[in-house]
Amino acid sequence: MLAARFPNRGPDGISVTLIESRLQPPIGVGEGTWPTIRSTLKQIGVSETDFLRECDASFKQGSKFVGWLNGTDAYYHPFTLPIDYIDRNLAPYWLEGPRTANFADSLCFQTRLCDRSLAPKLITTPEYAGVANYAYHLDAGKFAPFLQKHCVEKLGVTHVLDEIVSVDCDADGSILQLRTKSGTPLPGDLFVDCSGFAALLIGKHCNVPFIPCKDTLFIDKALAVQVSYDSEDAPIASITLSTAQSAGWIWDIGLTTRRGVGYVYSSNHTTEEAAANELRSYLGGRDISYRSININSGYRREFWVGNCVAVGLSAGFLEPLEASAIVMAELSAKSIGELLPGFRSGLPQAARIFNEMFQHRWQRIVEFLKLHYVLSRRTEPFWIDNRQAVPDYWRQHSPWHEDFSHREEVFSAASFQYVLYGMGFEPEPLPWLLNEADRIRAREKMAETARHAANLQAGLPTNRDLLGRIRKYGLQKI
Amino acid sequence: MTELVVINSQTHLNLRVSPHPSSATAGMNAVSVIPMELPRLLAHYPVFFLKSQESGRFEPVALLGFNEGENLFYANGRWEVDYVPLQIQRHPFSLVRRQELVGAAAALDLAIDMSSPQIRTDEGERLFSADGTATKFLEDRASMMQALVTGSNEAFNFAGKLAEFGLLESVQIKVEFVDRSEKKLQGLYWIATAALQKLTAAQLVELRDRKYLEWLYFQMASLAHVSGLVARKNRLISGVAR
Repeated sequence: MLAARFPNRGPDGISVTLIESRLQPPIGVGEGTWPTIRSTLKQIGVSETDFLRECDASFKQGSKFVGWLNGTDAYYHPFTLPIDYIDRNLAPYWLEGPRTANFADSLCFQTRLCDRSLAPKLITTPEYAGVANYAYHLDAGKFAPFLQKHCVEKLGVTHVLDEIVSVDCDADGSILQLRTKSGTPLPGDLFVDCSGFAALLIGKHCNVPFIPCKDTLFIDKALAVQVSYDSEDAPIASITLSTAQSAGWIWDIGLTTRRGVGYVYSSNHTTEEAAANELRSYLGGRDISYRSININSGYRREFWVGNCVAVGLSAGFLEPLEASAIVMAELSAKSIGELLPGFRSGLPQAARIFNEMFQHRWQRIVEFLKLHYVLSRRTEPFWIDNRQAVPDYWRQHSPWHEDFSHREEVFSAASFQYVLYGMGFEPEPLPWLLNEADRIRAREKMAETARHAANLQAGLPTNRDLLGRIRKYGLQKI
Repeated sequence: MTELVVINSQTHLNLRVSPHPSSATAGMNAVSVIPMELPRLLAHYPVFFLKSQESGRFEPVALLGFNEGENLFYANGRWEVDYVPLQIQRHPFSLVRRQELVGAAAALDLAIDMSSPQIRTDEGERLFSADGTATKFLEDRASMMQALVTGSNEAFNFAGKLAEFGLLESVQIKVEFVDRSEKKLQGLYWIATAALQKLTAAQLVELRDRKYLEWLYFQMASLAHVSGLVARKNRLISGVAR
């Protein structure tokens, strides 16, 4: 993203070098994205057709949470905003009733597309455009090399395969150059630490402490498997399916070629063996060979120090409940590009703004992830330990724009509404805050949502059908 | 429902076919066209590009009307100008894939839609002479079908190359009729003249060598017929005898 933003590679331009380790294998999970990925890919000049084909990617239109409230329930957190969301908050009018359908179904047409594994667009819809908001599920093992190739071939990024062995810095701690195993020192003005959990620069060199949040988010382990589809024409789900288990939850992501499934759980509440059994039974009892991954939930106290800034897992990591990892990397790269000063003397100010912004973002994500758990009435110890009172404020007020005043909040009021009301949260009746004109409008908009959903159900192809056509014919750019 | 039957001289010896389009085959407001017929289309029809519903690929189409199913060139069982686009002319004939042994090259057979109102026994063109040899009419239709198969590929390749060179742009046609009613046509594309000016020499040579340059100028010139199409609609609205 930085290379695309600053395309001048001349002597007075910016050059970008990617140092990739041969020893650090990619983590290989994290296959869900947020709709920001579409503008990111478009901006860096990737063709959506190439991306879908080469990364076995499929369309993701949100998440579906199954069994989180009591084991028999399900609700959606779709990517499309509730109807009328820009102008009016209709949630209080849905709460007031009569409730003819659940919250998301009443105010968002997209859930009905997800019910039928439909695509968010047609073969005639141009690249990156959609009739419903969408992101992707992708094969992380293919996405990284795909991006790397694009960056080197199209964006003029220099790619170095080497191991970083030490860091040379000046008196005030700024990084001058990296020393590598092959012996060639790599000097630079700004060093972006994308070294993953190793956090070679931000952690080992800059000694920025890691703030764990295990006391809030209990998940610390993941068992990941890849499974094939039952048949060649099995539906490809339009959502990340998150199914509650005794000590965590199972993600289920459908790519074009396979599913990626994993159980993230709290090791304080279950054993690996018991967790593997739950995963096995989720998969219908089939034999599985899983990979076990540690999740150290938390983030750095600071992300940008001197001329070093951490992006990706080196900055922090949380359970993949709302696919926040890739979106945080995108937001980081975007902010670095926007804040990048023309001279070194501007770095401290850029770092200050960046750190403030991202401390806020990480805090809000932790808070939002926790919100998924606190209302559960499940009775296993993991869920009982997670139970918490919802902030009183939400009892007296429906989440709205002003509550999320930061520019580019990762999760907006819409997300809070989908989760709170999806989990059956019942705020106080507040008739004195409602009015008749909006009440009538809400009724009209709910009817409009139902009509729109029915029209799209009749007109949209399934994910599998559309992805097959894209493989064969491609999408047009216009 | 169509009822496709492969043609043979025994079964269809006495069959007659009306060469005039029926309202069922004419009832469309845009028809796929092939490059070969562009010089003749140019006399009457505006030609645009649109995306195939099946593949999303661009293809040239002749615009026949403003609303779904509206063909302003067809009235009272008669086509009003002297050239009918091949994709409509071909009816009731089709090509069907021959059921062959595995591994054999795919072959196409000429078939006829027995449910078509163009099938007659009293009048119309015979397919076979009394001795069972194919008539000129049948031979012409068979070669028309072949031309459509080849031409359809050419049409997609032509439009695909224009898209690749960034020459197509989306256009919204807004027309107002005599009764003040308005219609917006969406999903249409045409040649972006500004992009045409920016072609490199190598691209121009490629377009010329493939005959695409010629075709794209035919297409651009055909747009003058949009006003003719509006005039047809206006005559229909005002009830003027055509």
